[in-house]
Amino acid sequence: MEFDFSAVIESWRFLLGGFGITVLLSLCTVICGSLLGGVIGMARIYGPVWLRAIIVFYIDSMRAIPVLVILVWVYFAVPILTGWSLAPFWSALMALSLHLAAYVAEVLRAGIESIRPGQTRAGLALGMSQVQLIRKVIMPQALVRMMPDFGSILSRTIKDTAIATVIAVPELMRRADSIAAQSYRPIEVFTVALVAYFLLIFPLTRLVDVMYRRFAHLGRS
Amino acid sequence: MNLDWSVVSDNWQALAHGAMLTILLTVLTMLAAIPGGIMLALMRLSRFKILALAATCFVEFFRNVPIILLVFWAFYVMPVLLDISFSPFATGLIALALNNAAYNSETFRGGINSIRKGQREAGLVLGMSNFQAFRKIVLPQAARRVLPVLASGWVSLFKDTSLVSVIAVGELAHTALQIRSQSFRVIEMLTAMAAIYWLMGYPQAKLVDWINRKYGVKE
Repeated sequence: MEFDFSAVIESWRFLLGGFGITVLLSLCTVICGSLLGGVIGMARIYGPVWLRAIIVFYIDSMRAIPVLVILVWVYFAVPILTGWSLAPFWSALMALSLHLAAYVAEVLRAGIESIRPGQTRAGLALGMSQVQLIRKVIMPQALVRMMPDFGSILSRTIKDTAIATVIAVPELMRRADSIAAQSYRPIEVFTVALVAYFLLIFPLTRLVDVMYRRFAHLGRS
Repeated sequence: MNLDWSVVSDNWQALAHGAMLTILLTVLTMLAAIPGGIMLALMRLSRFKILALAATCFVEFFRNVPIILLVFWAFYVMPVLLDISFSPFATGLIALALNNAAYNSETFRGGINSIRKGQREAGLVLGMSNFQAFRKIVLPQAARRVLPVLASGWVSLFKDTSLVSVIAVGELAHTALQIRSQSFRVIEMLTAMAAIYWLMGYPQAKLVDWINRKYGVKE
């Protein structure tokens, strides 16, 4: 068996551009997903009962439906329903963020609920308001405990952006696919793409492991 | 806008067949990935450095790449490397199993490591063999801690089976997308697809929550 990496070498700029779009899409998704997830996570814990029921339904639905299904739905069905057509990148950002927000909300809830209720009572007994309590007692501890989970969310988001290839977002996976089809060298091209993803994600998961060890004692109460 | 839902009822048999394949793929992958995960976890915990290193490389590689790319890679590389042609279903199954075995091995390793060393040592002092101490003391406790994690892995796997649609495995996502492109009933078909996944996945997600409440370990 012979390997010929010339197809990869000739189009390295094209592939590198795809890699850049993968990173950009991941970053934007993490930012939008975290903001949305933060809001719905807080609303789930501190909101009125009717709102909580809606949010729980939303979160569980997002946990039940594959990302691919949400992606194609947002890309193909939303323009027909609303009349706006979004570029693949924005559709992917929207779909991935909607999906990610549910997971962020769950992580936030787990972090906040892990703070013992005795601390809340102690804060209230000292005359703190609900907002003060959240800001000064609960959040500083909950955020530390959430960090490792948040790190895994980050690496999962990068992996999920590869699925955006099905709606033709020109990220690394998509570009690798098109080079593979043009050059008839799928093995070389996909192997290079696989290694590129690995090099992007592996340091991140390592960092998560380090955070677990480094910060675990800080979150103790 | 006029919606015509008859496309869903006309094709219900194809969709049901796709849904069956999705479930079959999930079950078969888990059946392969649980023993695979246990084996990898034991390799990583073994005294032999080479075994541990090999297992670590395997796990770290398959855990840190996108599944969809793994599916493509398996589709193109396996026939050349092994000189056997696999059906798309088998290819998808292998790609998912490799990825899931890596995840499961981390779950099992975490479960085994979470049982304090003193417990095994206590067993040894009482005259148990290494194997007895593992089977009678460590394993029963580790299994209980592993179960909730394994259950959420199951739901992730169920969702990830949709990714093998890119190599034309006729499971639910592929079937629904095919019908969509033939019938041009985009909204109806995509909504039906989402609804079927929801109907299958929602109870699973709820079940996972229940398992977590029942078996989850509190600090």
